[in-house]
Amino acid sequence: MSEHATPQIKPADDPAFQLPASLGAISIPLSLAGLVMMVVGWLIANSIHARFGMSVYLTAFVYCFSIAVGCLFFVMLQHLCRAGWSVVVRRIAETVMLMVIPLGVLFLPIIGSLLFGEGVLYRWDDPNHAVENHLPLMAWAEKLRWLDSSWFTVRAIIYFGIWSLLALFYYRGSIRQDATGDKSITDKLQYWSGPAIMMFCGATSFAAFDWVMSLAPMWFSTMFGVYIFAGSILSAHCIISVAVYSLQKAGAIREEVTIEHYHDLGKFMFGFVFFWTYIAFSQFLLIWYGNIPEETHWFYERGLGHDHLTDWGTIGLILILFHWILPFAGLMSRHVRRNPKLVFAWAIYLLVVHFVDIYWIIMPESAAAGAGHATVEGIKGISASILCVIGMFLFMIGMALRIAKKNAVIAVHDPRLQESIAFENM
Amino acid sequence: MSENNEKKIHGTVAEYESVDSLLNACRRIRDAGYKKTDAYTPFPVHGIDKALGIKPTVLPWIVLVCGLTGTVTALVMQIWMNSIDYPYIISGKPYISLPAFIPVAFELTVLFSSFGAFFGMWALNGLPRFSNPMFTDPRFDRVTDDRFFLYVDSTDEKYDETAVREIYEQTGGEHIKNVLDDDSSDKIPKPIFMVWGFVIAASVIPLLIVLKMRVTNSELPRFHVFFDMDFSPAKDAQQGSTLFADGRAMRPDVVGTVARGESGHDMDFMTGVQMDKLAAVDAPRAERLVRLSLGPVGPQDVDGESNVVEEEEQQNGEATEEVNATDTTPWLTENPLGNGEDVLRQGQKQFGIYCSVCHGMNGAGNGLVNRRARKILSPYWVPPSSLHQDSLYTDKYPEGKLFSTISNGIRKMPGYAGQIKAKDRWAIVAYVRALQKSRDADLDSIPESMRKEILEKQEVLKQQLNEQAESAETAEQQTEKTE
Repeated sequence: MSEHATPQIKPADDPAFQLPASLGAISIPLSLAGLVMMVVGWLIANSIHARFGMSVYLTAFVYCFSIAVGCLFFVMLQHLCRAGWSVVVRRIAETVMLMVIPLGVLFLPIIGSLLFGEGVLYRWDDPNHAVENHLPLMAWAEKLRWLDSSWFTVRAIIYFGIWSLLALFYYRGSIRQDATGDKSITDKLQYWSGPAIMMFCGATSFAAFDWVMSLAPMWFSTMFGVYIFAGSILSAHCIISVAVYSLQKAGAIREEVTIEHYHDLGKFMFGFVFFWTYIAFSQFLLIWYGNIPEETHWFYERGLGHDHLTDWGTIGLILILFHWILPFAGLMSRHVRRNPKLVFAWAIYLLVVHFVDIYWIIMPESAAAGAGHATVEGIKGISASILCVIGMFLFMIGMALRIAKKNAVIAVHDPRLQESIAFENM
Repeated sequence: MSENNEKKIHGTVAEYESVDSLLNACRRIRDAGYKKTDAYTPFPVHGIDKALGIKPTVLPWIVLVCGLTGTVTALVMQIWMNSIDYPYIISGKPYISLPAFIPVAFELTVLFSSFGAFFGMWALNGLPRFSNPMFTDPRFDRVTDDRFFLYVDSTDEKYDETAVREIYEQTGGEHIKNVLDDDSSDKIPKPIFMVWGFVIAASVIPLLIVLKMRVTNSELPRFHVFFDMDFSPAKDAQQGSTLFADGRAMRPDVVGTVARGESGHDMDFMTGVQMDKLAAVDAPRAERLVRLSLGPVGPQDVDGESNVVEEEEQQNGEATEEVNATDTTPWLTENPLGNGEDVLRQGQKQFGIYCSVCHGMNGAGNGLVNRRARKILSPYWVPPSSLHQDSLYTDKYPEGKLFSTISNGIRKMPGYAGQIKAKDRWAIVAYVRALQKSRDADLDSIPESMRKEILEKQEVLKQQLNEQAESAETAEQQTEKTE
């Protein structure tokens, strides 16, 4: 602000605030291509085994879902702490968070797996599971009170209801402000951000329990929701960085988003890389120290405690090296974080390792279930999974671009817009 | 200014009304090549580092080095303490157990980093500094309110008062002054001493209370701050408990428990019996033996089953001893470990630890416990057997039987299966055989390399005996003479 004259906010209909035509044009092809890739990947995976196919689909779903809810959290968090710096990038997060609505539709196959197959995806849905696996029947009966397919469906509807409600509330408020410039809308959004975050945390935590943790029905970890959330909020900052960089490359918001904003996004990426590690390690440490079989088996199936390095153990090591040490060291320097190109590159990188994390969380359960395919990491299986996730991801991007086309890519009448544009770290 | 000529000049300062005029002046001063400059503002001003040409701080590097030092300190400290200086197993984890060390490593990294950041910042800023000549001018008080100041230090290489003043004047600086030495008293005010004295005196009070408590007696019961830490509800060994049906706090091992290092042995090794043969002759007994070897009897077996096993145990002991001729048990006749030097050494060690207290180091049955029992004329003492009886030699008492006796006990001797590992019991068997052999070994059974040594020793011994005999004889003769 001091080095140059006070920035002038461009008028709301300035072309720099609109989605560049080059990006808008690819929205429909992207969606269609993504949908096809997703279905093809799923079908290939399905040809290996039905449970493997459903697990691949769930992996892709949880990956996309975690990014969308991460963005939802980002938006609510900015309102909660009345952040100024983030106003120029908030609309991107607001667009991505709307993806929880199409994701609600994409969740239908998972509910379908409960209705039309017994234990195709979730083993607790198999009525013979407890007897076949010699589980303590009393404990199992208690588990089944929660893990019941109709109650599971009702809960999923509640979760999606909460996310959709919050996402629409914050998106519509922001869009209405674009049109009217009414500053009281910001007050309203801020006022509700506290309760909204509480609702969000409940829904997300329990969704993680229901959809991911219950894959190993006898296993439990109370911080599992936070673990999923840690990857989620990290990838949200990554997708924002990627989107900002791409928009600027295509010609939009070039003067509004500055190195200072990249610096902040980079800082958050750096911080949340360590947050993810902190949470993942905390979860591991307690289970490792307690050393109770009913808890340790989850890690055992992921390669810990074997005499040799199993395939899942290798992936676990990859996570330690490439989800923690490498990005931690790489993002530590401010020179990296103040270089948009490098922030963009690290964001892409982290989005990839986030998928590895989700894959490592979900896929071992498809093997442990006695699906007859112990080596699900076979080239065919992995390619099917990657195809499926890229497909769903592109589908989401296409949908997001379609929404972005309708409105400005920046909150043009936000009362803090000028503060955000003029933001400096030091 | 003329009246202050004798005072040292620290530098020159100017006052500005706005951020923009200050920044403008900063840039001019920077471009004029001054390095030792500083700007004072009521609030942080973005971009002022650049305007003044201040280089980025090295503080991050200090923090990084301190953080890494913290990590390394924590890991080295824990590895040293827990694995080298005082090896201690916690929760059954290895001595060097990285996951357990990480929380401390993390905390020390954070602690050292914050120390590095805090004290590094002090050091880089030349703090603590209790007084600054800038404060001599009352106008400078407004720096916390609405005025901006720019300062050039007189120790700057390029410092030239008139040139600096010129820049100040051109950029709209007001009240341009030289910063003079602070002539206020440098004595520490007395109230500070009083406060210090009071704080020091007060800090001694807790210590005095503790000292007083340590040297005086009181009839009042002790005050327990943490009652449940002073009186832990956890049970000690051998204590009773109402929690379990058998009234014991100590729990027996779960049936089928295999001790560390005890897996992978076959049944013959664990019992000393050729189980295949026994199963053919006496299947129920073989079954009982197998069940026995599965470990202590669990609570579900208490009614009836366990008695059978106990009987079996007793029969094993007494019956075999009494009716040696009718013992049809197919004992192992060879030590599965052989009798290599390692085995014998291990057997010697274990024999020394467990057996020698009763049987004596030489196996003659006159160990310390035996001697003590005789000395106090213990009425209940059954003397331990000498291991050098004919009936205990390998032809009458096979290796497997000896092993079984060590494991399960005999007469008053308790079984040692719970204390000595099966492998070590077999080693003891080998060593006992060696002890027995040692009683009537001839020179041929000794390795050639050692024969010479033995012969020499024999010579020396003979000589000594002869000398003793001679001296005894002469002594006798002398006494006779004197008589």
